[in-house]
Amino acid sequence: MANSSLTPTSRKTYEVAICGNPNCGKTTIFNGITGLSQHVANYPGVTVEKVTGKFTGGKDNTQVFTLVDIPGTYSLSAFSPDEDIAVSALIGRMKEMTVPDVIICVIDATNLERGLSFLLQVMEIERPMVVAVNMMDLAKRRGLIIDCDKMSEMLGGIKVIPVVGNKKQGIDALKMATIEAIGTKPPQLKSIYDTATEKLILDLAITDDDHDRCRAEYIRVIFDVGSPAEKRFLAEESEEVHQVLLKVREELKRTHTFLSMAESSALTFRANEIFEETVTSNKMGRVTTSEKVDKVLLHWLAGPILLFLTMMLVFQSIFSWAEPIMDLIDSLFGSLAGVVEASMAEGPLRSLLTDGIIGGVGSVLIFLPQIIILFLFIAVLEDSGYMSRAAFLVDRLFKWCGLSGKSFIPMLSSFACAIPGILATRTIEDRKLRYITIMIVPLMTCSARLPVYAIMIAAFIPYKIYFGFLNLQGIVLTLLYLLGLFVAVIVSYILKKIIFRADSGSFLMELPSYKVPSIRSVFIRVMNRAKAFILRAGTVILAITVIIWALGYFPRDKEIYNQYLTDISEVEADHSAAIESFTSLFDDYKADMDDQSLLKINELDRQFAAAATVEDIVSLTNSSAAKYPELAIPIGIISNIHMYSFITKDKLMHLTNDLQGKNLRNSYFARIGKVLEPIFHPLGWDWKITMATLAAFPAREVIIATIGTIYNLGANVEEESTSLVEKMRQAKWEDGPKKGSLVFTPSVALSIMVFFALCCQCGATLVTIRKETISWWYSVGTFVYMTSLAYMLSFATYQIFSRVWY
Amino acid sequence: MTYLNLMIPGQKGKVVGFARDSKLVRRLYELGIQPGRAIVYLRNAPFNDPLEVMVGSSCLTLRHAEAALIAVELEA
Repeated sequence: MANSSLTPTSRKTYEVAICGNPNCGKTTIFNGITGLSQHVANYPGVTVEKVTGKFTGGKDNTQVFTLVDIPGTYSLSAFSPDEDIAVSALIGRMKEMTVPDVIICVIDATNLERGLSFLLQVMEIERPMVVAVNMMDLAKRRGLIIDCDKMSEMLGGIKVIPVVGNKKQGIDALKMATIEAIGTKPPQLKSIYDTATEKLILDLAITDDDHDRCRAEYIRVIFDVGSPAEKRFLAEESEEVHQVLLKVREELKRTHTFLSMAESSALTFRANEIFEETVTSNKMGRVTTSEKVDKVLLHWLAGPILLFLTMMLVFQSIFSWAEPIMDLIDSLFGSLAGVVEASMAEGPLRSLLTDGIIGGVGSVLIFLPQIIILFLFIAVLEDSGYMSRAAFLVDRLFKWCGLSGKSFIPMLSSFACAIPGILATRTIEDRKLRYITIMIVPLMTCSARLPVYAIMIAAFIPYKIYFGFLNLQGIVLTLLYLLGLFVAVIVSYILKKIIFRADSGSFLMELPSYKVPSIRSVFIRVMNRAKAFILRAGTVILAITVIIWALGYFPRDKEIYNQYLTDISEVEADHSAAIESFTSLFDDYKADMDDQSLLKINELDRQFAAAATVEDIVSLTNSSAAKYPELAIPIGIISNIHMYSFITKDKLMHLTNDLQGKNLRNSYFARIGKVLEPIFHPLGWDWKITMATLAAFPAREVIIATIGTIYNLGANVEEESTSLVEKMRQAKWEDGPKKGSLVFTPSVALSIMVFFALCCQCGATLVTIRKETISWWYSVGTFVYMTSLAYMLSFATYQIFSRVWY
Repeated sequence: MTYLNLMIPGQKGKVVGFARDSKLVRRLYELGIQPGRAIVYLRNAPFNDPLEVMVGSSCLTLRHAEAALIAVELEA
């Protein structure tokens, strides 16, 4: 607390902390003060978001204020590391943070008593303070008249500013008051505790006279038994001081039924005093609008139905609105790769750029539209107050499999992508439940699995109709979705009972009043989240794709390439020989033609040159020959010349695809695939499937491009590609006991799909888990359990279906 | 005197105390469930759990197991 002695004019930068209860509108005020200049990071050692922003003020606007958003909390009493953040940040015990020069405490005008209790706790920190009473308009509508001047007087002169955060009213006054508060002396108020308790607090503070602790810290140490604050204190103090602490608690227990209540009841008592003096209410016991809305939205029957419809809307939007933008991104990256391809010489660098980097970044960014839409819905649902109601409605269902209603949104989000799902678990306060949720959400069928399912089902699951409306292909797809969900329920049950041994946690939560979300704060939230997604997923995927690319690219066999060059020059030589002979034939005919025929022929030549496909040439040949029967022979010759260009182009493309296929089949990857084939043989896979699956470990959808390349179709195959389906259907075992029989049978396709349903083939997910749990163990655990489950169930699938089906 | 989990939706009462001391009880207190305050049992979620109550102007949700800690005097 050495900073406090400095006068306001001697410094240029100041730290300001803004704190308050959850749902008090703290973030809206924060956004109002700092605008878009925000920086999002984590508090050290935990995954609680630390948002900071800057504003300027003071003389000539030269002073810079860093505003830190302290996590919302109902109380400074903290028992878990996450809860402890607010306290340690405010009292200056947080690593990398200093004691704030000013603390802004936001209280909700419609819930003043609770806000005042918290404020009284914060005042014990004895720092310069400003109070913002938010949602004054809502309080007025509910018939509450709040006397802010009187409140300021009762708080010993601390400035109390009325604010309407979402309308930006009072923000400037709040800024001014904050700047003026710098360097002021905290008020000396009458203690909220009775004389005996007050003496005990002082006893502890006096014993410990060699440390610079604020009063609030002693209060935390005394009342929060087993808290991080107590542990810090015990570690720093001598046995003698420990004894004093024990004695103080003994004394308190004698005069209070519950030790933990000694503080809260004192806070409530004073808060009520202030409330009585400053608030006059002219309407009592009214039913609020929110409660009227809840009569419908939380109705036992209508509630779940409306929730279901809302979720349908969210999903419909994620999949239909995002589609055109995703196609756009896809073609953008495709043409970017095309440009690079055209402007660089063939070689490892070009391949690294086009297949590795551009392809890899594109494979992540393509999910961005879906994720932004998802974040948009989450932000709107959260800010409106509906999200906590959704958790309330489904809590019972989730409790049944060991989770809580708060796991609902993370699991739902994961049907689009597991990464936003994992990020959404931050609202689950109970750590064990949060970790369990994080570990099971990657089992939800994300959109990256869909292309894999689509091609396998289209190629190998017959189109059969049962009972007139049930399509076998649709049934298989539905079963795959249910498989993920079903396994998730079982895994979470096991994790909870056996691994984490967690109790059912609590569902103590406030349902905030409904409000219209502010576009500004929704926008800021979505922006921050999208940025985090790109940084997290993008950087990792980039690194992994480069490795995968290298494994698939090297080693390059000179022989294969030389053969390719020879083949190409042969095709080109054939081409020019053919064109030459046709041209000389054509010239012979031209010599005998009259001017009019020549004009016609030249015009036709231009038309042929403009033809885009072989079909165009054929139809043009037929129509022009019918129109000018006398010129049938020269038309035939021109037609052949142009046709030949197409044939040559096609031949060259085949050679290139052939080269890529040969190179891949010769790569380190193929060698790994061949080595590992025996392991995957019981799943019905050959080395090509094994290899393609291995290549898909960083990102599932890669399997399609890899299979495409192995079967010489080039990497740009689409999941609707009929040629890929054909190739796969015709693929035969090259050796071994099954030599000559088909590789892909329905049971092999099923075993591949089951593997993809359960396996953790997503590098970005694993990195996100690491970031959100701050431990690689959870990533490793998730990877190991998912991959082993995938292998086991895929094994069972193949073994069963290859016997009953084929 | 009864406990909150034994009340039925629509009933009103006054909080009189807690069954025992715990971190959870402290949180209940901080959220506004305090001896002397009026409490309204609003509703159960589908399948009965959790439940929603109103204390002062705020609506709180908790499970029946947690509600069993809260002693309530029913309104006559």
